[in-house]
Amino acid sequence: MIVCVAVVGHQNNPLYIQSFTDADDSLKLRHIVHCSLDVVDERVNNPKKSGPTLNETFLGLLYPTENYKVYGYLTNTKVKFILVTTDLDVKDADVRNFFRRFHAAYVDAISNPFHEPGKKITSKTFAERVSTIVKSFGMSSTR
Amino acid sequence: MGWEVSESCVDSLLTEMVSMYCNRLYANKPELAASRIDAIGYQVGHQLSERYTMERPRFTDHLDAIKFICKDFWSELFKKQIDNLKTNHRGTFVLQDNRFRWVSRMSLDPSENGDLSQENAEAAENKAAQEPNMHLHFSCGVIKGALHNLGIACAVSADPSHLPACSFVVRIKP
Repeated sequence: MIVCVAVVGHQNNPLYIQSFTDADDSLKLRHIVHCSLDVVDERVNNPKKSGPTLNETFLGLLYPTENYKVYGYLTNTKVKFILVTTDLDVKDADVRNFFRRFHAAYVDAISNPFHEPGKKITSKTFAERVSTIVKSFGMSSTR
Repeated sequence: MGWEVSESCVDSLLTEMVSMYCNRLYANKPELAASRIDAIGYQVGHQLSERYTMERPRFTDHLDAIKFICKDFWSELFKKQIDNLKTNHRGTFVLQDNRFRWVSRMSLDPSENGDLSQENAEAAENKAAQEPNMHLHFSCGVIKGALHNLGIACAVSADPSHLPACSFVVRIKP
């Protein structure tokens, strides 16, 4: 089950963060997202360790904590998408699919002429699309 | 989710925008009008580059990003690629389009008003030369916005001396 998704801009400023569990966890989730940014930077700036997947947008599993798995995705414009999930047996293809749809929703939200680049995304349509994508992710992996 | 608009609508929108900024909003200050038009282009380029880099792997260096602008970005905007790319390998690129779409339908003939005195002819020629310049500010803004979003700080200027062929000079800031 996905507990949190976040969009972080290229200066590590949060553009959108949404948690899908009770509010008690939200601070811990924000902390996890914040820590994962360091891992993203490390992956991107160490070409020798990453090997052939240097230029891919999907960064894969960033790091597992005690209850959660954190996945990262870096776009060409240095915008990072972070996904925190509690599922233990998540398929790679599912996560990639999730990020692809999430990226499409993000691009549509950004193309809004009333959206100011660098500020938080306040579009309700984007929030609805994200919750739809999150719900369908949950369903496809409980086979 | 894709919506389509006819190309003549885009042309009319651009023409009207330039005319509004030059003739009504900043009538006597062409530099201010130019910088406002450039800023509009910047935001458009910023958002478009986000959309057109969606499926692609990340760029390794400046040349890759410029090639993306010349090929994919230009094809999405104008249905053709840049005709010629030159570089001095020290951060300056010249992108040449032999038939730039947004100015291809502009009249370039300054002497439309029959017989004019010498002074009027020069003023008319200056004014006619200014119009495509203003449109080119928008295109420069688009390129600059797209490159900034890819992490490349640069200055873009256009060279309108051989319309409808147009060259854009991109200087990457160190």
